[in-house]
Amino acid sequence: MSDLITINVDGRDVQVPPRVPLIEALRQQAAVETPAFCYHQDLKVAGNCRICLVEIEGPRGFALAISCHQQTAPGLKVRTQISSEKIVKLRKGVMEFLLVNHPLDCPICDKAGECTLQEHYMGQGRHESRLDDAVGKQYKGLADFRFIDAKGAERGGKKIDLGPSIVLDQERCIICTRCVRFMDDVAKSSQLGVAGRGDHAYLTTFPGKPLDHAYDLNTTDICPVGALTGKHFRFQQRVWLLKSVESIDPSDALGANITVEYNNGQVWRLMPRRNPDVNKSWIANRTRMLYQELNRNRLTDALIAAADATLDDAYVAAGKAIAEAKKIAVVASGHLTTEDNAALLALTEKLGAKAEIFGGSWLSVGAPDGIALSGDPVANRKGIELLGIADNLEDLVRRAGEFDVLLVAGNDLWAADAVKAAALHSIPARIALSSWRNATTAAATIAIGIRAWAEVRGTMVNRNGRVQMLNAAPTAPNPALDPAWLVVSRLSAAIGLSLNWAAESDAWRFAVAKVPQFAGVTYRSIGPLGRQIQNAAAAVAAPIAAGV
Amino acid sequence: MTTLAGFPQPTHFKGKELPTILSSLFLVDNGHTLDVARKHGAYATIGPMLFEKSQFELIELVKDSGLRGRGGAGFPTGMKWSFVPRNSGKPVYLVINADEGEPGTFKDRLCMTRDPHKLIEGMIITGYALGVRTAYIYVRGEMLPQIKRLNDAIGEAYAAGLLGENIAGSNYSLDIYVHRGAGAYICGEETGLINSLEGYKGQPRLKPPFPAVSGAFAAPTVVNNVETIMAVPYILQHGAKGYRQWGTEKSPGSKLFSISGDIGKPGVYEVPLGMAYMDFFELAGGVKGELLGCIPGGSSAPVLNAEETKKATMDYESLASLKSMLGSGAVTPFNTDVDPVLYLQTIARFYAHESCGQCTPCREGTGYVDRVLDKVVAGKGRDGDIDLIKDLADSYEWTTICAFAPGAAWPVQSFITKFRSHFDKYLARNPEHAHERELVATRPGAFW
Repeated sequence: MSDLITINVDGRDVQVPPRVPLIEALRQQAAVETPAFCYHQDLKVAGNCRICLVEIEGPRGFALAISCHQQTAPGLKVRTQISSEKIVKLRKGVMEFLLVNHPLDCPICDKAGECTLQEHYMGQGRHESRLDDAVGKQYKGLADFRFIDAKGAERGGKKIDLGPSIVLDQERCIICTRCVRFMDDVAKSSQLGVAGRGDHAYLTTFPGKPLDHAYDLNTTDICPVGALTGKHFRFQQRVWLLKSVESIDPSDALGANITVEYNNGQVWRLMPRRNPDVNKSWIANRTRMLYQELNRNRLTDALIAAADATLDDAYVAAGKAIAEAKKIAVVASGHLTTEDNAALLALTEKLGAKAEIFGGSWLSVGAPDGIALSGDPVANRKGIELLGIADNLEDLVRRAGEFDVLLVAGNDLWAADAVKAAALHSIPARIALSSWRNATTAAATIAIGIRAWAEVRGTMVNRNGRVQMLNAAPTAPNPALDPAWLVVSRLSAAIGLSLNWAAESDAWRFAVAKVPQFAGVTYRSIGPLGRQIQNAAAAVAAPIAAGV
Repeated sequence: MTTLAGFPQPTHFKGKELPTILSSLFLVDNGHTLDVARKHGAYATIGPMLFEKSQFELIELVKDSGLRGRGGAGFPTGMKWSFVPRNSGKPVYLVINADEGEPGTFKDRLCMTRDPHKLIEGMIITGYALGVRTAYIYVRGEMLPQIKRLNDAIGEAYAAGLLGENIAGSNYSLDIYVHRGAGAYICGEETGLINSLEGYKGQPRLKPPFPAVSGAFAAPTVVNNVETIMAVPYILQHGAKGYRQWGTEKSPGSKLFSISGDIGKPGVYEVPLGMAYMDFFELAGGVKGELLGCIPGGSSAPVLNAEETKKATMDYESLASLKSMLGSGAVTPFNTDVDPVLYLQTIARFYAHESCGQCTPCREGTGYVDRVLDKVVAGKGRDGDIDLIKDLADSYEWTTICAFAPGAAWPVQSFITKFRSHFDKYLARNPEHAHERELVATRPGAFW
């Protein structure tokens, strides 16, 4: 932002970047709250909602313009609602028009509380109604879905099943076309469109065809009203009850930024979190559904010889196995945080010649989809690579006979490749740290439950060399569960080689000492949007980012 | 010479000859065929007269002639042409707007029926002036006979070497395609038309960029009305001065007016711009009954009351001074038997039906106005409803992407302002019109 230009907003000179949408300059630099329904930072401009109207000085005096389509230019003179009564009045008019045919069923609407229409009504609306029952509403929707409500009024389509993940409420729709533009320009699959004209226009799919794209749930986020709602979240929670922490997609090496939203000790939904350098505003449906795994099939305690055991007993048993071992194979995991892997590495180093560390994954790597998935399911592959842990699982298979203890953390080797993993059965003591009950915990002699990704704080490095933070939501199914790094630290204490780590930052400091690229990087400096530690060219030849 | 039902124009009016710049072939038998048209001088310009001129000279000529767009907005044609960037590396398209949809307008339809060759001739000249290789005629979907006429005429012109490669032995080549619309009013708006031409939904585009820079297929595009282009051959033949012998200083030339309503001989007339409306009514057989008002330029144009109509002349400036517009030249006088409230209801219904549904104010506002008006007409109106309607129209007048919303707001505003007493009579039909309205939001138990 070196070459800022000056524009005049309500008589006040403001420094703004050149050739950006005026609405961004108003919101960010001029700090003028500017409403919008159809405008979205990561979509093409449609300019149809008209609520962002401002006055721009032109050759014939001030004229109306929409601030989303207007680009900033030197000397631009703008009047907003702060200095122009006309803008205040016209915005009230637009709000009135938007609400004329809107059902106002906020009490049963999932969007209530995070509804753009509600927000802007409070800010810019006409607060006394001029509606008259005798005039009625023109409810939008296809004839097939209309119905007569309890008061005898004709209503529009209320719960139209669009496909596997989304329900459409046609009468709530304000035809902003954000979802249409998302499908056209981001998902590149034009499954949605607006049919009809005038106030009887309605959002729909092609006749008989579903909305079933792998990213279609993003339309429910960008929908400014409750017209598009995800089946997974309908009538689950009121959004104002949800608390959130910032995290990233733990299932993919792009590390799409998300928020984990929880209430009552349970995660209710994952939402995309805008990061212009990573995933823009989008996440895949697959990422969004990861929260469902957090309460499914968890290893909430421990297993010893495939029988339920307490965590404490398992710690003792595992410590004993390690203490008595002649040669230990430690398997790190790209599914765990850098901190967890740092702990495994630290333990290996403390054990000296008695232990050897292995890394890698047997999961197959796909191609990037250009939106929010890199195709690599090993989210922190780069992180363990930077720690100097080699991708050498094949060595472990070949040399399995050399070891008498296997310590594998968060890496479901038996599910990834049962044939190769079979060789590991020759190792007599198999200790697995895992959040879920899976093939590896079944094959382990000692399985210890650990916290899952949403419940820990830590970092991962995405495949473009960006360190990003995961934060802990207080939703672990058993509060006694610990993150993997803490379990490892505890095991180290049990054998008298105490790492003595009390917080994630202890693990991070160990990683910083190991990895030159981490020098000077602190949790604070990583921040909510992550921090690039390698330049993009060094990281990956083709950058992976959402494209519009 | 024969007579034509849709074209009842005499040759002279009050001792003065009427212009036949556009209508020269309207009364000629088989004037739509190439042979007959040529006998009457068609394509005389397509030869050295055209090809020895430079593009710049042609654009200057049209600028000098003062020709203005006849579709409704009245934008100076030469200036529009001069906006087309040279050497942009992209083809330039010429699109003829024959999506004649303004209620009351039926002039282009007659032009295409009676004299398609004048349109083609004008397109060749315009195409040459702008460096166009491919041109389109976007015709309203319902006009099937006209589409057939155009295609027949284009076929004849190709066969005669007047279209296609190396027109009339010159280096200039032009292809013309007729594109059939589907009858949406909004597809007469130039960017809506371009969207429709490209195969998208007929919804106007955000401007800028303007079509002259990025229009059809993201290339420079000029969209002109049928009548505008049909005046071009005459201007080339007779020069700017020849064209300016008709009309006024600022509104030169002649224009086709479609007159309907309470008039003796409805139809299309070609008259010089600047003629008084009352003279025009006399030419068209006189107003039936006592004049109450007149829509001077298509249903979008603000209505004039009787006094204003008597003052008005048929040119851009006179109507602008009366806060109305010449529009498409659809003149609709109505007499005291007509109920302006019902008239406005019909117009409002039309705009509610034809709003493309893109911008919030127009999409919701036109329908809202229509429903409130229905309520008033049904005798359920309350005090304040008329002001509400006017206020709604004020809200959507200038707040949208295209000029549809102002076009829908003007009749509402002008009918209410000029015929307020008629509206109040409808309110009086509701015995409870003065009762305060029960606000939905304050009614107990309505929502919470």
